[in-house]
Amino acid sequence: MLALRLARGAHPLVLLRRLAVAAASAGTGFLLLCALGYALGHPQTAGSSALRLAWCVVPLAATVQFAVAVARTDPATRPRAALFAAGLGPARLMLLSAINTAISCTLGSMLALLFFLHLRGDIRGLPLDGAAAELLGAGRPLPLAAVGTLLLTVPVAGTVAGALALRPRTVKSGRTPALAPESTGPADDEPAPPMPQPAGLPWGVALMAVGLAVETYAARETATGFPLPGRLASSSAAVLGGWAITALGLTLAGPALTYLCGTLLQSARPGAARLLAGRALQEESRRIGRPLGVLCAVAAAGLAALQLYGGAAPRIGPLTVLGGVLVGGCAVLTLATAAVEARQSRADTTTALLQLGAPVSLLRGAAGLRALALLAVFSPLTWLVGTLASAPLSG
Amino acid sequence: MVAPPDNDVLWARTLHVSRGGTPALTGISVGVREQEILAVGGPRGSGKTTLLRCLSGQLVAQQGEVWFNSAPVHTMGPLVRERLRRDKFGWIDPQPRLVPELTAWENAALPLLLHGAGHRPARKAALEWLDRLDIGHLARKRPHALSHAERQRVAVARALVNEPTVLFADEPTAPLHAADRAHVLRTLTTAARSHGITVVLATHDAGVAAYADRSVSLLDGRLVNTVRLPADAEAEGAACSLSV
Repeated sequence: MLALRLARGAHPLVLLRRLAVAAASAGTGFLLLCALGYALGHPQTAGSSALRLAWCVVPLAATVQFAVAVARTDPATRPRAALFAAGLGPARLMLLSAINTAISCTLGSMLALLFFLHLRGDIRGLPLDGAAAELLGAGRPLPLAAVGTLLLTVPVAGTVAGALALRPRTVKSGRTPALAPESTGPADDEPAPPMPQPAGLPWGVALMAVGLAVETYAARETATGFPLPGRLASSSAAVLGGWAITALGLTLAGPALTYLCGTLLQSARPGAARLLAGRALQEESRRIGRPLGVLCAVAAAGLAALQLYGGAAPRIGPLTVLGGVLVGGCAVLTLATAAVEARQSRADTTTALLQLGAPVSLLRGAAGLRALALLAVFSPLTWLVGTLASAPLSG
Repeated sequence: MVAPPDNDVLWARTLHVSRGGTPALTGISVGVREQEILAVGGPRGSGKTTLLRCLSGQLVAQQGEVWFNSAPVHTMGPLVRERLRRDKFGWIDPQPRLVPELTAWENAALPLLLHGAGHRPARKAALEWLDRLDIGHLARKRPHALSHAERQRVAVARALVNEPTVLFADEPTAPLHAADRAHVLRTLTTAARSHGITVVLATHDAGVAAYADRSVSLLDGRLVNTVRLPADAEAEGAACSLSV
């Protein structure tokens, strides 16, 4: 009840973020149900149905990541003096955030179910009645347990991941946990010690190199073991494995590269704007860098796909498009949410600077500098990885 | 109304401010002379901070005027007041409020950097001020590695580094131990006197007021001259019970 009451008074932007989670959850739920419908309609090709279900893992991961990012920025679940005074400690706040995530994701799942039944022709009275009836296995009864399991996947995964991310943990002496929000209580006046430099760069670069090498090696053989549903050209399991390793490497290297951007930005006799921008980027490198790495991987994959299939105008199925939009949208929104979280965590610094008489234009300029620096480092990297990934396949 | 003396650098006339329906200042008129240290006394909740915020242009009073060097602060737009605050005023809070990701000298040099000064002159000036406040050896440390008193001294250096015309100090020593308190106050007042900086010092501590040239006392948003403050400042916020 308290979660609903707090949600009712929340800022429209916060509600919009939760609605975005619901939409992502609806998309993923719909994809899962479509896999089920395909399996019902084609009982003789079990392998292909299982493959469709396996491909749903990618949008599922993107949705869960987005749900966790939103749960971390949710002002209703951040430590607040007013809630602390009412006796809500970190554990109850974690519960509150879990309830919020569960509500958003379940709402999305329900929407997905309605849309699925509608397209299947079980619910009538709207346009597009039963538009995909034979594809989704209309006429056969839906197995209730399977529908329930598939629809509960996103809410359960999102809620558990969010609760794990926000679990109250003890602060080790002198160091705050790298990614935990200030879950020990309302911020006191003690300034936080600086974040240690993220050490993922060597591992990230090594993994990227290994992934690209595996992909190049595997592309020579033309095995067709793991095709993407929706008539994209065949891609072997080894190529996909290599790509997964590359994506992991990009994600690992993200924070370290962001830190490097900050270091470069504040080097060589900086003025106020460069100094503030660079140090803030160093401080927020973990928070921003990881979703940035993920977005980079997604963008590189999109770029590679565009270079491979862009000229031939392939017939990509609507579900593949939906999956791609889901993954890309979730990656972008996760990065935006992480930026909001970074801004929230730096609210005290901003207040102190404004009280010093720092002009608002300077703060905006610093934020712009940060974005420019990240763009200057990450966009060539994305282009490079995408081109390298697509080169052996197209050659 | 008597015209204010010529050497008043900052003066306020009949300030009325109410916060959330409760009057915080009711008709306060006060003048600050050039290069003097003025202590604003009174128990907690008597309107000291509100008065300082009005005088420094952070808050515009609902009624009344604030003049700085014959310029009307109360009619200025927010951007002009922001520039005035940056160029002419310094401010010290009860809490140091340092930027946690900058080192001590960068924090102290921040007003100069915001002003557009070069990196090297700003660094030199900041280091000199930190040396004067006996924390020169800590210049490369970040705020989390400093003690509270050292942080507050960095805040003092930050307020003094661009040599403001008027320095506002709102309970600068409230969270400090007695020994640190005396040291911070002594360095603050000495630096202000040697550089001809006018200081407006809000304090509930009679001992702090001893460092000042002149004192005014506030009680419930009014200036009191002849009335003795209730049980002096020791009883924080305690109402006078003698009248009952």
